[in-house]
Amino acid sequence: MSAAQGREPSHRVMQQAAEWYALLRSGEASAAERQQWQQWVERKAEHREAWGYVERIGRRFSPLQTSPDRDAAVTAFGQAASAGRRGRRQLLLGLAGALGIAGLGWTAWRQTPLPIVASTWGADQRAGIGETRRVALADGTEVWLKALSAFDVDYGATLRRLQLVAGELLIATAPDPARPFVVDTAQGRLQALGTRFTVRGEDDGVVVAVHEGAVRIDTAVSRASGIVPAGRQARFTADTLDAILPVNPAREAWTRGVLVADDTPLADVVAELRRYHFGHLAVAPEVARLHVFGSYPLQDTGRALDMLASVLPVRVRRTLPWWISIEPRA
Amino acid sequence: MSGSEGVSQDFESLYGNHHGWLVAWVNWRLGNAADAADLAHDAFVRLLTRPCKFDNARHARTYLRRMANGMCIDLWRRRDLEQAWLDALAAQPEPTVSSAEDQAMVLQALGEIDAMLRGLPPRTAHAFVMAVACEMTDQEVADVLGVSSRMVRKYVAQAMLCCMKLEARLAGGLAGEPQPGAA
Repeated sequence: MSAAQGREPSHRVMQQAAEWYALLRSGEASAAERQQWQQWVERKAEHREAWGYVERIGRRFSPLQTSPDRDAAVTAFGQAASAGRRGRRQLLLGLAGALGIAGLGWTAWRQTPLPIVASTWGADQRAGIGETRRVALADGTEVWLKALSAFDVDYGATLRRLQLVAGELLIATAPDPARPFVVDTAQGRLQALGTRFTVRGEDDGVVVAVHEGAVRIDTAVSRASGIVPAGRQARFTADTLDAILPVNPAREAWTRGVLVADDTPLADVVAELRRYHFGHLAVAPEVARLHVFGSYPLQDTGRALDMLASVLPVRVRRTLPWWISIEPRA
Repeated sequence: MSGSEGVSQDFESLYGNHHGWLVAWVNWRLGNAADAADLAHDAFVRLLTRPCKFDNARHARTYLRRMANGMCIDLWRRRDLEQAWLDALAAQPEPTVSSAEDQAMVLQALGEIDAMLRGLPPRTAHAFVMAVACEMTDQEVADVLGVSSRMVRKYVAQAMLCCMKLEARLAGGLAGEPQPGAA
């Protein structure tokens, strides 16, 4: 019981979420306000939790929203609500009953949480939602940042060091025999051996894919090390270093603005698209595991979603242009 | 398991001691014997799915009466809503194209929304349902209700908050439900 209540957002945060919702759906929210909302959601787990409640409530309305008779339904509700004053007088201890009946039909609707960009604030270089950035460093090294990615730069006299803060980077290093080039991650250090490679931070590890040259991995805790040659990729954590596998060419596709899905669950595809979509993008749990194949444009999420809807049994519901849910096709 | 056996014995004695007066009491409230029998039956089904431990007969009586009273109110509400829904469908200029199944789903959703919003003033609830279900802007809702759009924004926030709190309370309540047999 205490665990469930511990997760419950405070009254103030619930109120903020309700106010954000009222503003966002009013038809009067500006682009700046929508961005502020996004930042608010991403700032704290408690905010996301509260927003989850907003979504669950909103979900209860979808049978009405999609019905051809929704106007009649709303009229009926208005009439019953005002006629209900009579019933209300008879309401002695009715709240207990109301809770009971509401509880029976109540189903939880979980949306996968938005990626957290808060951690990227304050990093030296970051790419926000919807952007893929190319950064040229002082020595001629080039770094592409995927949307919602960030890194810090620390170039010294004897070492060129990047710190991966979040997301995914494609790095093409410039040669400098005097100063080795390393990328530090929470899980371990990568040393470039004359190279072009991508490094991607995930919740449970780091994936390195080498396109040219080679990269040496040193894990942070177990001090395991290995060299990944061109055309290979490896995943590691602070104390494990997995087998080295052939590289998936899709790894690099994002630098060209393409998302390549190859038997990828829809939930993962949507998680990628979220990096490029300003606003709310939810996927219903019933369709989250559908398998997706093909290439989708990252810079035009609207078209990517239409393409998904044409190949999968899903429909894309746009309550507002920036408020989108992917649902099973009726 | 001895625990579940204990629960079913408890339930049988609860049913034996309380079913009779509950049907009579609900009949008095509703004025309809068939509805009363259905409702009392539903009340016990609900007790069976979410068992409660009662300290004594008086406690059980109070609880059952409270629950049945809430269910009576729900029943009136549902019938009001159903009638209003049929009236509204009949009043549409074009006959509806939706199937009976779709209509039942709409009514079900409407009933659940109604249960969620019951603590709110009718105008607030109506504004909220109009805004969300019909995806109307604040200004459009304001024009229908004859209030300012600022007011509509307030109604929507207030109604959403009310629903969120209810949902949170239900989630907390279900998680904190005493396990059968654990007194």
